[in-house]
Amino acid sequence: MDEEYDAVVLGTGLKECILSGMLSVSGRKVLHMDRNNYYGGESASITPLQDLYDKFKMGKAPESMGRGRDWNVDLIPKFLMANGKLVDLLIHTGVTKYLEFKSVEGSYVYKGGKIHKVPADEKEALSSSLMGLFEKRRFRKFLMFCQEFSLDDPKTWEGVDAKMTTAQELYDKFSLDQNTADFTGHAIALYLNDEYKNQPCGEFIERVKLYSGSLARYGKSPYLYPLYGLGELPQGFARLSAIYGGTYMLDKKEPKIVFDGDKLLGVESDGEVAKCKMVVCDPSYAPDKCKKTGQVIRIICILNHPIPHTNDSLSSQIIIPQNQVNRKHDIYVGCVSYAHNVAAKNFFLAIVSTHVETDNPEREVQVALDLLGPIEQKFVTVSDLYQPIDNGKQNKVYISSSYDATSHFETTCLDVLKIYEIIDGKPFDFSKIKKTEDDM
Amino acid sequence: MATGSPNYKIILCGEYGVGKSSIFRRFMNNSFLEETGKKSTIGLDQATQMFRAHGTEVKLTLWDTGGMERMSFIGSSYYRGANAALLCYSMRNKDSFTILSQYILDIVMNAEGAKIFLCGNFADCTGENCVTKANIESFERECGDVLSGNYQISCKDNTGLNDMFSDIARVLHQDAVNKMTLRKDMIVRPGISPEAEPAHKRKCCSE
Repeated sequence: MDEEYDAVVLGTGLKECILSGMLSVSGRKVLHMDRNNYYGGESASITPLQDLYDKFKMGKAPESMGRGRDWNVDLIPKFLMANGKLVDLLIHTGVTKYLEFKSVEGSYVYKGGKIHKVPADEKEALSSSLMGLFEKRRFRKFLMFCQEFSLDDPKTWEGVDAKMTTAQELYDKFSLDQNTADFTGHAIALYLNDEYKNQPCGEFIERVKLYSGSLARYGKSPYLYPLYGLGELPQGFARLSAIYGGTYMLDKKEPKIVFDGDKLLGVESDGEVAKCKMVVCDPSYAPDKCKKTGQVIRIICILNHPIPHTNDSLSSQIIIPQNQVNRKHDIYVGCVSYAHNVAAKNFFLAIVSTHVETDNPEREVQVALDLLGPIEQKFVTVSDLYQPIDNGKQNKVYISSSYDATSHFETTCLDVLKIYEIIDGKPFDFSKIKKTEDDM
Repeated sequence: MATGSPNYKIILCGEYGVGKSSIFRRFMNNSFLEETGKKSTIGLDQATQMFRAHGTEVKLTLWDTGGMERMSFIGSSYYRGANAALLCYSMRNKDSFTILSQYILDIVMNAEGAKIFLCGNFADCTGENCVTKANIESFERECGDVLSGNYQISCKDNTGLNDMFSDIARVLHQDAVNKMTLRKDMIVRPGISPEAEPAHKRKCCSE
């Protein structure tokens, strides 16, 4: 540890592991530490089941829940978009070969007290229970417009200027009503709130295309989920980092970032200092350099049945758009099961999450809990969200933001790519990895 | 599995410095690095080779640890889906041998159903502190049927490696074939005895 490093990375959450991998691949000498004796930090999957019960001080896990080792419970639920940025990162870095994925079986949206399948292609739009007959036809036209739309080909624009026309104007152009806008904006374009409606529609169209494109890849839904839980993802990137020379140290006593005045010296743990030129970490390792931006509530629910009205899906996602329940933030439900090696035979894990808006967050998500049917056990966490107070350029401490309530990894990847770009002054060069692999 | 040769994942396990990466290099491209610096594994990930087992071409994919065990633990994901673990020790370092039971525990917990093969590297070692034949025999007795094979090799002289991997390929493939037939027998439908089922099926088809 007494050596000198280009970078010390603190915390083995997904963001830190991706960054550690990128730094190692780009030739930097990396030391990666974690205060826990397992990989993944907040993005670990807890196993065996008793560890989850211990974490929440819930006593002994019941015998009826089968073998403890069969459980791998995510603390932060998310899915991967099949055509999304994390899949890009996995493929470009070769980390895909360490993991196995399954397609999520169904994507649903809440409307008028019931859940409906999210229609994402023209055929589904016509058979959807979400809209009336005429609205269906209008929505179908809108989807076809988005799929055809290309910035390079003015013939596909139909009078829409991606940089000028707002998303609301686009809805108006196709005469789509508020209900349709609700599920399109939140369950297809996956916006967190309604601000996008007043923004130029270019990004909105791209998001609709990402959803449709992801859906077209595997059919049932646009989402993927790794066998054995999301905790496999940080481990995959940690392995990448190690293979490119990164050194790993877990179970380190409270690593502390040390400065000489304003200048970064290194990281101290157990009385030793690892000197380094930069530190990359999650907010918990540099609390004085972060500010609180809100709270997320996550409720892990153990079920012994699929979520009702999801066609007995072994995995599914339900989005409850803010407007449907008079909120400012959507509520997400992600469900996975024994089919993904995260629960004992015949058990399901449903995780409800949202951004907290009141001082009774559990009541806020009651509408989502009511959709799940009988619940065997609930585990409730309310966690603070932190953001770095600056971009780290000044003192060479680059801090990631807490994992938000969104149900997928798009914002996670944006944060990672942004931090890498600040460190390097240019976007990450994926071609570097390919070259080294050929050398091997 | 329906297309191509069957593929078996083998993970390397054992203490830092027993020569896991040397085994990996011999496996990958039959090379050997003489200098034994403190530099641990860099750039070694996984490699695949074809072997013949019981008249079938089978693929063995060998995974290296990435050097993660040097100062830390290897994450659980390394073990996922492994068909076999090559449990390595150095014949000239008794400590790397006596700690093996700890590794067996890790393998059994994280890689369910993986066969475990014992592999002593530095078989060219002569001297006082070497692991002896008696040590190995008593360890094998303790382990009972946990071990599926026991080899002594030398990466330096390139002895025993090819025989070891060919043998592992045979054992793994035989096991897979056995399991397949076993599973066929085990599937029973409640209320229908195994003999009655084909008859029932025939009746269906002829209707």
